[in-house]
Amino acid sequence: MFLRSLPLAVASAFLWTTAASAHEVPPEKQTGKLGSVTFPTSCNPAVQKDFERGVAMLHSFWYGAAEKLFTEIAEKDPSCAIAHWGYAAILMSNPLAGQGALPANAVKAQAAIGQARKAGAKTQRERDYIEAVATYYEDFANRPEKARQAARAKAYEGLAAKYPADDEAQIFAALYIAGTQSQADQTYAAYLKAAGMLEPQFKKHPDHPGAAHYLIHSYDAPPIAAKGLEAARRYAEIAPAAPHALHMPSHIFTRVGSWEESAATNLRSAAAAKANNEADESYHAYDYAVYAYLQLGRDADAKRAIEDAMKISGVSPRFVAPYAITAMPARYALERGDWKGAAALPAPTSTFPFTNAITHYSRAIGALRNGDSATAAKEAEALAAAHKALSDAKNTYWATEVEVQRLTVAAWTAHTGGNPAEGLKLMRAAADLEDSNEKHIVTPGRILPARELLGEMLIEQKQPAAALKELEASQAREPHRYRNYAASALAADMMGDRAKAREYYAKLVDLGKKSDGSRPDLVKARAFVAQK
Amino acid sequence: MRRLATLVLACALGAFAPGALADPEETDPDLAKRDEDYAAGVAAVKAKSWSEAVAKLKVAERRNPDSADLHNFLGFSYRNLKQFDLAFTHYKRSLAIEPRHRGAHEYIGEAYLMTGDLASAERHRDLLKGICLLGCEELADLEKAIADYKKKP
Repeated sequence: MFLRSLPLAVASAFLWTTAASAHEVPPEKQTGKLGSVTFPTSCNPAVQKDFERGVAMLHSFWYGAAEKLFTEIAEKDPSCAIAHWGYAAILMSNPLAGQGALPANAVKAQAAIGQARKAGAKTQRERDYIEAVATYYEDFANRPEKARQAARAKAYEGLAAKYPADDEAQIFAALYIAGTQSQADQTYAAYLKAAGMLEPQFKKHPDHPGAAHYLIHSYDAPPIAAKGLEAARRYAEIAPAAPHALHMPSHIFTRVGSWEESAATNLRSAAAAKANNEADESYHAYDYAVYAYLQLGRDADAKRAIEDAMKISGVSPRFVAPYAITAMPARYALERGDWKGAAALPAPTSTFPFTNAITHYSRAIGALRNGDSATAAKEAEALAAAHKALSDAKNTYWATEVEVQRLTVAAWTAHTGGNPAEGLKLMRAAADLEDSNEKHIVTPGRILPARELLGEMLIEQKQPAAALKELEASQAREPHRYRNYAASALAADMMGDRAKAREYYAKLVDLGKKSDGSRPDLVKARAFVAQK
Repeated sequence: MRRLATLVLACALGAFAPGALADPEETDPDLAKRDEDYAAGVAAVKAKSWSEAVAKLKVAERRNPDSADLHNFLGFSYRNLKQFDLAFTHYKRSLAIEPRHRGAHEYIGEAYLMTGDLASAERHRDLLKGICLLGCEELADLEKAIADYKKKP
C-alpha cells in the first residue's frame, strides 16, 4: 500500500526493477505470493508444495504457468494422479468466459484424464475430483458449451456435498456454478448462488485467492457490484505475484466508480505486466488508470500515465494494445471537453476497424462541438466504412458499438445543423442501442456514454428536466462520472432546483478534491458549494 | 448473394457477446477457428456446395446451437436447396438469437419473396428500417428485391 504515496514515476521505477529481477525466473518457478491454498493429496510429499502452488495459479487464472507446473509434478511423481486433474482443469480455460476449451485442448485433457485413471489415485476424494472434471469433457464433440458447463457445475456441486469439510471443493463448485450464469438472467441467480457459497469461505480463508477472485466475478454486474468491493480490495494483496490479481479488482472499482483504487491497482498491474514483457496487459491497465484519473479531474496524472504507456515497446497482433493506444488520448481530450484537441487527434493506424473508429468518432464529436461540420462529415464517412468492414466480417459486437458512434455523430450533426428534433431522435436511438450492448471488458467505459451525451444535448436544447432524467439513468450504468455530475448539476440549476444542483456540485467537488484544478466546471462547482 | 464473399469473411473476426471475463482476448471466439466443421461449412457455402454445407453446419450446430451466423448460413444453404421450410426455421432461429441480424432479415425477406409472400418480406424490410436508421446495404438490397418482385407480371 505504501506505493500509493509515492510519486508515480518513482513507484513505476520501483516496480519495474523488482519485477524485472523476478522475470529472470519463469513464472511457474517463481515463488511470489499467490495466496494461501490447502489441498491435501496422496502424492509424494516432495511435490505437495508445488501442487498447491499450481492450484493457487489455477485460482488466479494463470493458465500458462500452471499448465507447466502440473506437467512437471506429473513427471516428478507419476503416481500423482490428481496432478492430471489440475492439468485438465487448466485446459477448460476461463470458466466464466463462456467459450470453453479449445477442441485441441479437450483432446489433451481427455488424455490426461485417461492417465489419471490409469495412475490410480490413492484416495476416493482424488478419484472424485478427477471424475468431476471428466464430466466437462465427456462427449465433447457433440455437446454445446452450455451443456458442458451445466454438467461440470452439477458434478462439482456433488463433490462439494460429498465432502462438506473440503473447502477447495466448495470454492471450485461455486466457481463452476458462477460459470453457468446466463447473460439474459438479470436476477443473476447463478452468480448470487455462487457468492452465497463463497462469502463464508472468504471469511474462513481471507488469504485464499479463489474465494476472493471468484467473489469479484460473482458480483461483476452493475446492480450487485458494490457487494464485491471487499474482495476486490483484498485480492490484489492476496496474490500480487499473479498479474490478473492486480488488474481484476479494478473491474469492480470501475463498476462502482472507486477511481482512486482503480488508478492505484492499475498502475501496479501496468508496471508488473511491463516487467513480464506483457505489453498488451500493460497498455490495458494504463487505459483503465487514465480513465480513472480523468474522473477525478487529475488531468496531469492522466497525461503522465499516457506518456508512460506510450513508452511501452513491442505489442502483439491482438487488439488490446491498439484499443488502449487509441482510446487514451481520445478520452483525455473528450472527458476534459477539449473539443479542439479531440478534432486534432492523430490519424489512426491500427488494422482493427473498431479501434480506428474511436479516433474518427472523437474527431467528429470534437469538430461538431467546435462548429466544424465539414470535418465531422469526413469522419462520419470513415465511421461508416469501419462499420461496413465490421458488418461484412460479421463482427456483430463491434459493428454495434460503431453503429452507436455513427448514430451519435449523426445526432450531433443534426443538432448543430439546425434540426434539434432529429438530433434527439438519433441520440436517443444511440443511447438505447448502447444500453442493449454490454460494455466490453477491453475498456473501462465507452469513450463517452451515449445516454450522458443525450443528457448534454437536452441541456443544449433547454430541456433540463428531461436532461437530468437521462443523466441519472446513465449514472446507474456508469456511476460517479465527472462529466455526468457536471451536467447533472447544470441541469438541476437550470431547473431552479438549487438543492439538487448543490448536491451534484458537491459530488463534483468531492470527486475533484485531488484535481489540479484546471477544469472550469470544477471551479464553478466549488464556488456554488461555497455559497451560503 | 452479392455479399457472399464478405459473409464468408465471418471467419476473420467472429461475433460475440462479452460476459464476465478476465482477458479481453477471450471475447474473440472466432467460431471458424474454434470449430473445424463450421469452417468447412462456411467454405462449402463459398463453393456453393449446398448439401455439403448443410452436412458440415449441422454437425457444428450440435456444439454451437446459439450461433446466429451459423443458423443464417444454414438458412441460406437450405434456401439454395429449395427447402424453404428448413430455411425459414434457421433464419427464424438466427433472428431469435440476434434480433438485429441484418443479413438474416434481408435473406429471410428474399426467401419470402421466393415463396410469394410479399407481406412477410415487407415486414422484414420495415424491421430493417428500424435497425438501419442511417441506411444499410441489407435494407437497400431487400427494398430492391421487393421492387423487382412487384414489377413482375
